[in-house]
Amino acid sequence: MKIRRRNNLLVEPPHSATSDIAFILIIFFLVCASVQPDSGRKQTLPKSEEQPEKKQQSENPEVGVSRDGVVLNGNPMKMERFGSEIKRVLAQKKREVDKVVVLKSKPNTPYERWIEVTNLVQKAGGIITLQLEEQRTVSVD
Amino acid sequence: MKIERKKYNATVPSMAMGDIAFLLLIFFVILARVQDDSHIQWEPARIDELDQAKNSKASVIIDADNKAYLNGREVGVASLAGALTEILGESEAGKRTILLKVHKHATATYFEPVIEAISEAGGDLLHVLEDERMKN
Repeated sequence: MKIRRRNNLLVEPPHSATSDIAFILIIFFLVCASVQPDSGRKQTLPKSEEQPEKKQQSENPEVGVSRDGVVLNGNPMKMERFGSEIKRVLAQKKREVDKVVVLKSKPNTPYERWIEVTNLVQKAGGIITLQLEEQRTVSVD
Repeated sequence: MKIERKKYNATVPSMAMGDIAFLLLIFFVILARVQDDSHIQWEPARIDELDQAKNSKASVIIDADNKAYLNGREVGVASLAGALTEILGESEAGKRTILLKVHKHATATYFEPVIEAISEAGGDLLHVLEDERMKN
């Protein structure tokens, strides 16, 4: 008769490293959460000049942005139409210099509207330059 | 007769050394990379196509109260161009990215001078935005 030898040794996984593993996992997920790469949109802005040439400026398309709408070369239009219009205008420009679009924003223009408009200009191949309102100092005697 | 005492081999356990080194490494990586601006309240605007930010030198935030922050510290717009010029130093082209995080309802009065300051300092501007397709 064959007697089977029983080998019932209690084998337990070591618990000493469990806290280390947990700690490392916490740090790993913390790093993943905090070092998420930012994403957005690049924007090339030409260096500002104090006195741009008047002749050249008049040849560049002018876009006015406000809270309520957008104006292209003096013509107010809806956002849906602006995308195709700016594309058409910029397609006629051959030189890189002429593709500079002068952007004038009303002071109350919200950023999300501004981004929407500049995004359409950039998609159409335009280079944005900002025209800021000059600040005047009036001295009173 | 002299009875010899039993000698015990006392060594410092080196099993955890790898763990300790790893933790220190992660600690310094976090310290080097995270600029703490998590306390600033702002909500990004949304567009459909986004680029990934690489090698950014600094971040400028305009929060919900229209206050400007440079790397998490409040800054005046007048001194922003100078501070950015100092940060950018002699960095070569392509490594001069400045992240601009503007609250979506902030108005042009506040964000346009900041954009102008970044341009003046010679920074490569990257608007930090959210993907419109990730809306819900």
